[in-house]
Amino acid sequence: MSGYTEGIIILLCINAIAAMGVSLLTGFTGIFSLGHAAYMALGAYTTAILTVQHGVHWFPAILCGGIMAVAVAFFIGVPTLKLMGDYYAIASIGLGEAIRLILENWQSVTRGARGYPGIDPYTTLPVAAAFFVVLAICMFNLINSRFGRACKACRDDYIASSLLGFHTARIRVISLMISAFYCGVAGALLGGFLSFIQPVMFDMLKSTELTAVVVFGGLGSMSGSLLGTAVITLVTELFRPISQYRMLIYGAVLVVIMVLRPEGIMGNREFLSWVKAPFRRRAG
Amino acid sequence: MGEGSFPEAGRMSAFFELSGVTKNFGGVQAVSKMAFSIARGELAGLMGPNGAGKTTIFNLVTGVYDLDEGQIFFKEEDLARLKTYQVTGRGIARTFQNLRLFQRSTVLENVMTAAQHHVPYSFAEGMTHLGRWRSGEKKIREKSMALLERVGLADRAEQAAGTLPYGFQRRLEIARALALDPELLLLDEPAAGMNAEEVSSLNVLISEIHRDFSLTILVIEHHMDLVMEICPHIICMNFGAKIAEGTPDEIQNHPEVLKAYLGEEEVE
Amino acid sequence: MRADRPRSPSSIHERGDPPLATLIQQVINGLSLGSVYALIAVGYSLVYSILLFSNFAHGGFLVIGGYICYGTLRTFGTGIWLSGAIALAGAGLAAVLTERLAYRPIRERTNVTLYLLIASMGMSIVIENIFVIVAGGRFRALPPVIPTAPVNLMGLATTSAFDLLSLVSAVVFLGALQLFLSKTRWGLAIRAAAYDLRTAGLMGVNVNLLISIVFFVAGALAAVGGIFLSVRYTLYPQLGAITIKAFVAAVIGGLGSLPGAVVGSLILGLAEMLTAGFISSQMRDLVVFSLLVITLLVKPTGLFGKSVSEKV
Repeated sequence: MSGYTEGIIILLCINAIAAMGVSLLTGFTGIFSLGHAAYMALGAYTTAILTVQHGVHWFPAILCGGIMAVAVAFFIGVPTLKLMGDYYAIASIGLGEAIRLILENWQSVTRGARGYPGIDPYTTLPVAAAFFVVLAICMFNLINSRFGRACKACRDDYIASSLLGFHTARIRVISLMISAFYCGVAGALLGGFLSFIQPVMFDMLKSTELTAVVVFGGLGSMSGSLLGTAVITLVTELFRPISQYRMLIYGAVLVVIMVLRPEGIMGNREFLSWVKAPFRRRAG
Repeated sequence: MGEGSFPEAGRMSAFFELSGVTKNFGGVQAVSKMAFSIARGELAGLMGPNGAGKTTIFNLVTGVYDLDEGQIFFKEEDLARLKTYQVTGRGIARTFQNLRLFQRSTVLENVMTAAQHHVPYSFAEGMTHLGRWRSGEKKIREKSMALLERVGLADRAEQAAGTLPYGFQRRLEIARALALDPELLLLDEPAAGMNAEEVSSLNVLISEIHRDFSLTILVIEHHMDLVMEICPHIICMNFGAKIAEGTPDEIQNHPEVLKAYLGEEEVE
Repeated sequence: MRADRPRSPSSIHERGDPPLATLIQQVINGLSLGSVYALIAVGYSLVYSILLFSNFAHGGFLVIGGYICYGTLRTFGTGIWLSGAIALAGAGLAAVLTERLAYRPIRERTNVTLYLLIASMGMSIVIENIFVIVAGGRFRALPPVIPTAPVNLMGLATTSAFDLLSLVSAVVFLGALQLFLSKTRWGLAIRAAAYDLRTAGLMGVNVNLLISIVFFVAGALAAVGGIFLSVRYTLYPQLGAITIKAFVAAVIGGLGSLPGAVVGSLILGLAEMLTAGFISSQMRDLVVFSLLVITLLVKPTGLFGKSVSEKV
């Protein structure tokens, strides 16, 4: 396998992990967030600092990156997730920008806007693939469990769901924390792949890309988010020469999908349902 | 007021009791000094013309609104201190006047979402599908299917809830509420939008589940047919206050009730 | 989006000015900036009050207004009044078009506001990037048609004519809006719709036309803000990103409340300028987001906001 192909697959794994996180939050729990790249940044920087400056082995460092993202998500999430829809979306933009600003200005720790070089390239293909497989299994299991149903209930009708005994605020926070973990790990893996990170890599473009991927794949379909990641990552690579049109295309994708087919490509179906369908009719 | 053999409001050992319940919205008094008492195992009806404040009572009981005055007791616990999501844990379930199904989910999933309440397994088990996940999911699914059979929706289990005919959606909401294993079931206008035939079969269903699940049921309806036929204990309200309470016969001939429903001029 | 260093013509005070002079200066700067935010925030809040969703593409109308004004000034050499008018009309039309193409189809099919939110985000990106591609990312200075000369205020402080002008213009436009809303038939219809859109429709108001009018007004107001902002900060495609501050102002004042949007904007402008004057320029944006966080924690519906309660 050529280095280039390997690189693409690693990038696919990384983007897919982040997309799964956003999918849980936006597609399954119905929380529209526009600042999720901030959690990737937190993961990336935490891991970079731990591996480069403190000699921590990459595996625990990646987990710490994820945990850092979770911690921040918890502190921000608990007060703000009580808010519905628009308020939270604005808060998430504000948070994303605030984190980026802090990263750019806290030069002593993060080396500022010019970026953080010299990260050990620990994200090899086996590493990326292993993280992806494990995290994907966990995520698919989760949505196919009482937690997944709880998230969907909170998404579809928060009044009915609280009268079915669901502590909606708590479920939303937990969902945010899990999605932050996934994005944090993805960011940490990205740092180990590029050996270099910069605040501008985690700006609105990245956040929008994550949201576009999930919307495109279908809000409420984890498989759809994976499919969306594959499509958008590959298209981005193929159309590298016209990368200035990327943002325009993401924006157009969001609008067109919402207008023509808001359920995205997969609606709320999963790949597995195609496999299970013939068996289900028998059991009936 | 013909309270007859019904528990007097104020007796502490009543199963479910409101006393002095008042709720204002801005300048409007939606509920005014409402008081009634329901014994365990009763099938009672809450009647009144539109806007009488019936749904507001349900909202007050389930914590959607806060009480301005008064108290609500269930099994001798004051419900006012509870948050909405804690109410289910105490054994109360409700359906909604405007239907609040999870439209995008399947019929089965709607019920499973409620049934899972009493089948706990941990987050870690959910994430790894080990431990109690498999047995838990099986139990949830079986319980839900059984309830769907009960309300006659088993063959539509995999259909999206939002695509069901209206009458079936109402049955689904009842099944979902039953999945919570409640002791007190609050039905908010379960017959709304139904024709006479559907109301009849709904009456049968409610009577059956009252008996089979040993439930205490309070039904809101402004449809006379349903309430009169199956509820031996009826409370009638108008403009937020109780105007009559008693058996169907007593209510039927009560002047205040006739006035509320037919208007002043119609009463001889 | 970036935290840009302002090249405001009014940052002309020197360190060493007596604190009182600085205070007065920054208060005026703050009011001026706040009044520009107000023009943007009010349009945004107006749309929210009718449709109950945040139109993230609002910043795009701002940019459209700025570029049209610049374009007509540069290409046709027309005066600021005509260019401004054309820009307002153009941005208003763009807003109406956005609503027709992107929002109405969604609105008619479903009432899930999440879809509108996502579509508006998409439109915002589309508009911004159309300008990136067509006009290039360069910073463009508007021809100096708006006076920016220093003005001495009764010997107490020095400010610029620009600040006073933007303050006055904002007052004029907002006053005109207030008159429109309170004294005209459509204004009454809009106020009724803000209270309850469906009922207004049932009362015979042409809801689609009303929504188009609201978008036109919002777009036009944003254009005025855009023109002033492009003088203050020069014109570039990402200028619309500053709308996030207007959003924050609208949230502080209370989403859906027009007086709230004005008050929130003034508070924000003052906070920003006082921070820049007395602490540091870098802290400006952090102060903005802190105010947002505090508002959301303490009183999420803002100062005057309507808390939309669902019928259960």
